[in-house]
Amino acid sequence: MSGFQAVAGALPGAPGGPDAPGAAGMSLACGHVSFSYEEARAPIPAVRDVSFELRAGGSLALMGASGSGKSTLLQVVRGLDAPESGAVLLDGAAPTDAGYAALQREVGLVFQAPELQLFASTARDDVAFGPRRLGWPEERVTSAVDTALDVVGLPPARFAERHPYALSGGEQRRLALAGVLAMRPRLLLLDEPFVSLDPGTRRQLVEILHRLKAAGVTLLLATHDVDLAWALCDELLVLGEGRLVAAGPWDFSPDGGRLLAANRLREPFFVELWRRLGRDPQRAPRNAAEAAEALS
Amino acid sequence: MKATIAQYYAGDSLLHRLDPRAKFVAVSALAVALFVRDSFAALAVYAAAAALAYVLSGVPVAWFWRAFRPLLWLVALTFVAQIVFAPGEPFFSFWFIDLSRRGLELAAYLSLRLVVLVLVGSVLTLTTPSMALTDGLAWLGRPLRRLRVPTDELALMVTIALRFIPTLLVELDTIMRAQRARGADFRRGGLRERMRSLVPVLVPLFVLSFRRADELALAMEARCYQPGAVRTRLHPLRAGRADAALLATTAAIIVTGLLV
Repeated sequence: MSGFQAVAGALPGAPGGPDAPGAAGMSLACGHVSFSYEEARAPIPAVRDVSFELRAGGSLALMGASGSGKSTLLQVVRGLDAPESGAVLLDGAAPTDAGYAALQREVGLVFQAPELQLFASTARDDVAFGPRRLGWPEERVTSAVDTALDVVGLPPARFAERHPYALSGGEQRRLALAGVLAMRPRLLLLDEPFVSLDPGTRRQLVEILHRLKAAGVTLLLATHDVDLAWALCDELLVLGEGRLVAAGPWDFSPDGGRLLAANRLREPFFVELWRRLGRDPQRAPRNAAEAAEALS
Repeated sequence: MKATIAQYYAGDSLLHRLDPRAKFVAVSALAVALFVRDSFAALAVYAAAAALAYVLSGVPVAWFWRAFRPLLWLVALTFVAQIVFAPGEPFFSFWFIDLSRRGLELAAYLSLRLVVLVLVGSVLTLTTPSMALTDGLAWLGRPLRRLRVPTDELALMVTIALRFIPTLLVELDTIMRAQRARGADFRRGGLRERMRSLVPVLVPLFVLSFRRADELALAMEARCYQPGAVRTRLHPLRAGRADAALLATTAAIIVTGLLV
């Protein structure tokens, strides 16, 4: 991965630009949030009375069967839909507080298949769209774009002037992610970011998210992939038919296992492996490197 | 999700079960009849028939209202234009407005006629799925095939277009949300500014539509679609006694309207 060295310099704490994402993560709290879609016959409830907290710099996997309300919850958190009842607190601020709109702009949302939203004629212009909307001066936009392209492993020298539609599928997905990262989010919401990626790109994306997490960005990751959720997230939140089924640290007790199964989920691979090896599943490794270290 | 423009109201009323061809012919005939004779009595007959059809359709009032609401402006405009411009002896004058009895009558008549027309038309679209409607139209257009008009292909095109309108609206909504999440504002600024703000929405929407069209064409070919080939139907249109009764009733209504 050619962008790897560049990334090390782009993250906070290292001699990088001022616009590396996530100078300090943002905390998130949802209190009794409900949302329904207006339909012709009757409103369809999508999120019902959901409450949870996510500390600044924390990482939370949002899981649940298809149609359980994950995407809707992310959009409500970003403020694209106003909750019918309840409130989304960002860094402890309520929607009625001064400065809430500014905080909302620091929440990045990566949609499902975000490459379908690319529109500009160069990669640079597409990534610059958000920063320009924030009214940043052009020098700051340029440095934010360069940093974001570096972070996602698309070095600007090679990619900035390319046409977005001339890139491969995996490159397009990472370009779309750069478009969100360039706005310097302190809370990053991702909706099924791994869907239909080849294994190589998937691995790159996992590494990018690991680095963002290490840089202090708060992560809320909606995914069906329990292995990646386990690899990336400290905590788990399960939705079922819009309701909160479970929230908190991963729990691999018999009760926890039943809860996962009831929501069409399963234990992560390394957790099952640890169980089969007669080890404590609660202390299972998060990835192959950790497993190798524990086993050697 | 929010985009519900397909007006069809799924139901199982008498009108839902009728053949789309019969319904289309009946509605067209009534629409023409509405314009043949200018009399309040005839209009009353047609309005009663339209109201009866509406009751038989079992469609909730709210659905009719949704179909009707966008046309409210047109009705209001017709009404005002007639009042202002109609000839006649004014009984009230103010500035350039002359209210006359004739003008008021004409305004009321023309607006009511428009309302009845919309009512009749929406009974058709609310009780007939768009696919059945295009099938019916394709059948009715068959004589045109002698003139080498590809009616079946046109019908299929219309069916596909209708089928994808809701899908496109959902996609449009998603793209707009995604760009809003990146700071786009579609409501601010003058006309020029607003047109420019649509570029990040329209470009992806077009790209997506062309890609989908390509894929659909390939998928149809893979499933042996051949333009020009005679296609059989899974649900062939069958007209029965009820459809004959509809046409007879419509004829009776029109004759009554012409005679009263």
